[in-house]
Amino acid sequence: MQTQEAIVQGLAAEPKLNYLTNGWTIRSWLLTKDHKRIAIMYLISVSVFFFIGGLYAGAIRLELLTPASDLLESGTYNKVFTQHGILMIFFFLIPSIPAILGNFLLPLMIGAKDLALPRINLLSLYIYWAGGALVLFALMQGGVDTGWTFYAPYSTTFSNTYVMLVGLGIFINGFSSILTGLNFIVSIHTMRAPGMTWFRLPLFVWAHYATSLVMVLGTPVIAITILLLALERVGKIGIFDPSIGGDPILFQHLFWFYSHPAVYIMILPGMGVISELISNFSRKKIFGYEFIAFSSIAIAVFGFLVWGHHMFVSGQSMYAGLVFSFLTMVVAVPSAIKVFNWTATLYKGSISFDTPMLYAIGFIGLFLVGGLTGLFLGAMGLTVHLTDTYFIVAHFHYVMVGGQVIAYLGGIHYWWPKMTGKMYSEFWGKISAMLIFVGFNLTFFPQFILGYMGMPRRYAAYPEELQVLNIFSTAGASVLGFGLLMPVVYLGHSLIFGKAAGDNPWMLPGLEWRTASPPPTENFEKMPVVTWEAYEFGEESGLDLEGARKRDAEATAAT
Amino acid sequence: MSIAKYFIVFGILFVGTIVTYVVALTDLDGKFFAGANTLVALAIAFFKMTCVILFFMHVYWSSKLIKLSAVASFFWLAIMFAYTMQDYLTRGTGVFGQ
Amino acid sequence: MSTHSDTHEHHNTPGLQHQFEDMKQQEDSVSIGMWMFLVQEIMFFGGLFTVYLVFRSQYPMAFAAGSNHLDAFLGGLNTLVLIVSSLTMALTVYYAQKGNRNMQVILIVLTMIFGAAFLGVKAIEYTDKYNHGLVPVTGLNKKIKEEKTAGHSVGHSSEHEKPCYEVDHNAPVVEHPNPKGEFLWTDCSLAKLGLDTNTLTVAEKNGYFSNDKIDANKFRDKVRIFFWIYFVMTGLHALHMIIGLGLMAWLGWKAFRNTYSSEYYMPVEMSGLYWHFVDIVWIFLFPLLYLLGRHFLH
Repeated sequence: MQTQEAIVQGLAAEPKLNYLTNGWTIRSWLLTKDHKRIAIMYLISVSVFFFIGGLYAGAIRLELLTPASDLLESGTYNKVFTQHGILMIFFFLIPSIPAILGNFLLPLMIGAKDLALPRINLLSLYIYWAGGALVLFALMQGGVDTGWTFYAPYSTTFSNTYVMLVGLGIFINGFSSILTGLNFIVSIHTMRAPGMTWFRLPLFVWAHYATSLVMVLGTPVIAITILLLALERVGKIGIFDPSIGGDPILFQHLFWFYSHPAVYIMILPGMGVISELISNFSRKKIFGYEFIAFSSIAIAVFGFLVWGHHMFVSGQSMYAGLVFSFLTMVVAVPSAIKVFNWTATLYKGSISFDTPMLYAIGFIGLFLVGGLTGLFLGAMGLTVHLTDTYFIVAHFHYVMVGGQVIAYLGGIHYWWPKMTGKMYSEFWGKISAMLIFVGFNLTFFPQFILGYMGMPRRYAAYPEELQVLNIFSTAGASVLGFGLLMPVVYLGHSLIFGKAAGDNPWMLPGLEWRTASPPPTENFEKMPVVTWEAYEFGEESGLDLEGARKRDAEATAAT
Repeated sequence: MSIAKYFIVFGILFVGTIVTYVVALTDLDGKFFAGANTLVALAIAFFKMTCVILFFMHVYWSSKLIKLSAVASFFWLAIMFAYTMQDYLTRGTGVFGQ
Repeated sequence: MSTHSDTHEHHNTPGLQHQFEDMKQQEDSVSIGMWMFLVQEIMFFGGLFTVYLVFRSQYPMAFAAGSNHLDAFLGGLNTLVLIVSSLTMALTVYYAQKGNRNMQVILIVLTMIFGAAFLGVKAIEYTDKYNHGLVPVTGLNKKIKEEKTAGHSVGHSSEHEKPCYEVDHNAPVVEHPNPKGEFLWTDCSLAKLGLDTNTLTVAEKNGYFSNDKIDANKFRDKVRIFFWIYFVMTGLHALHMIIGLGLMAWLGWKAFRNTYSSEYYMPVEMSGLYWHFVDIVWIFLFPLLYLLGRHFLH
């Protein structure tokens, strides 16, 4: 097989048409049905939103350097944190791994030519652009100040900002999410190559299946909630207005019915990436494959039963709070199972500390902190003290940034050679991974303490005695911001000056590594027939990986 | 499925509609128990929906996955209804700290 | 190479898309895809049903009052119309599988006629609400200036001095002025019925009363919520019907061009799934909006 020879000779494949060179016109990109091109277009778009959301974050941290509301007055500050939240959650975190890495890798990992519904995939991208453009337009007009949670009655009755326009943008964007999830579910069921049984699938695929279930079942509810919000703004009927017989908590029920599973949409793909990274960079079969696979599904299902833990002090009944609190404890169990299994995989593995592995190990520690603090918040007694403080902000940033963004960066670095055919600078990769880790902790750990001491969230001003910790946090944010910008530079540099990567630069058994880097448009020259289990590092994988590694080590030693 | 069978299902749906209309006009709440009218109306609606799903939408002859999807979506609806209503039905009972 | 022979086979199989190996894979894929779309639509409408459920459980009397002012006959007629259209749709799929072009086209046209009839009846109902001041949004009702006195009016007693629950159904009907096109409702007799039979919910005991007396305005606000849910749910449903009609038009055109046969009929089946789904939503909307609470006034 061509890949086998390439590994043996350590050469890249002969130059032939790959998905990047197959058509040079803008038309061939904008009207493409190729999932890989769609993934690259998502990569560019999502990065733009991440950057803008990051600018808003910078504004928040700059304002919070001083106790007084001096840089931004309260009304503007409200807009800044709202827009930071909306852009980061809806336009960065939710699409990031599924739309970029999922789109690119899913067909490769299951041995298919493309996803089942390529035109729906393209439609998904167009819808993302439409929703994003609307939101950006609304932000330029003056933005929205309700908090990304849009709570009634402020959003329905009192806010004078562009609630409808931003709501419409998010509504439209939701369909992008739904169509991506739909496409993944269909593809995983019907497009697997011969021999690729469910339990030979990489855990990345299982994670995306679970994510897609949540996308399809949950996203329509936020769509209808936004519709109701818009109708209420126009009609002023009072379904969320207690003076006319409505209930503001009804809005919260409907909103969080989606928005809690949404956080699982954000973290599950990240966990899928981590499963790949831990196993592959320990060169060891993952420990407890079925447990991790089923725990992904369990998280997706149980995630729908806990939304009330965002509403403990809202006025919902105490007994509802009890039920949601108990179930919150239950939903943590599958996540813990995964962390144990990853750790067990590391044990006696042949660990190599490449950049993706640094991110993976960082994830485990940071997700642990984030997840545990989530349990603290799920306990009703403690949550009354900590609600709407910086403890919550720290908690969700630990899971979303320390978890998801770290996993996203790890995945981008891991599969960069496959997507672009180039290797990036390992030195700068490691430096930036460590800067991000240090900067992140410096930014958000003080916020746990601040929250415990009572600093409320979403306030531009705070008591003077809390300033020192806020300064640490802002200092950390600058380090984090710098660390996040570095990959843009060295990854961009690698596109032009990077070493050619070869089909299988990490020498791994996964199906995506058995085709050219970058892959041809139809993914595989010949339809693969899978006869090996997932994460098979020995001879059963059909590749002589040990031999290749020995030769590679000798070649490096000789130079 | 033959044309005749489609017409039979149609007939069942037609009759179901008439029945639900007529029953709604009679007071079952007084005769039996409070909520009887609602229960009957919903039961007939569920029955009609099942006929449409199984026979018009061919789910009876479809794969297990399709059957599971149809059932699962109602299960998820049930989650949304039940967990929202558990708040409303227990309001006013119990206070924090007592 | 296999890619070359793939293309060759693909040209022979009508309708087979390039990413699939064979027609069975394509059929399975579009079928699962369509069902995932329907699952998502179920959750979309489900949010509205949740809102209905919450408010109905809190204010059953106001909802019953509102229900009784919907025309159950027209609603029932619409239900039958949709069921007939479901039959014609199912038969369309049957004939598509048989490759019978003429029957397909006839049945698609019939389906569209019944769909349009449904929308026509809905238009009649909506216009009726507009004329009687039952549209919940201020300004969207017929604006009636002071002078007019003819016509039928809903829920008004003939004298304003009487309490809102003493509605004299035999009194001559008058059209009350509505210069701003507001939502008009004064009949709160069901609140009195609930009070007398001691069947009011906790929310109702707070929600209908001011100073321990039935407050017509507060009752009206709850009835307005009912009508709002009515318009949003049936409106969203009607929007889906309109999309369905568009889908049928496209399907009819393709069927006329003899696109479908026993080898390739999945688009017809999938369109049928959508149409049946819209029918099922109405099967629930009809009893929930039109029929519940009707037994109070009969």
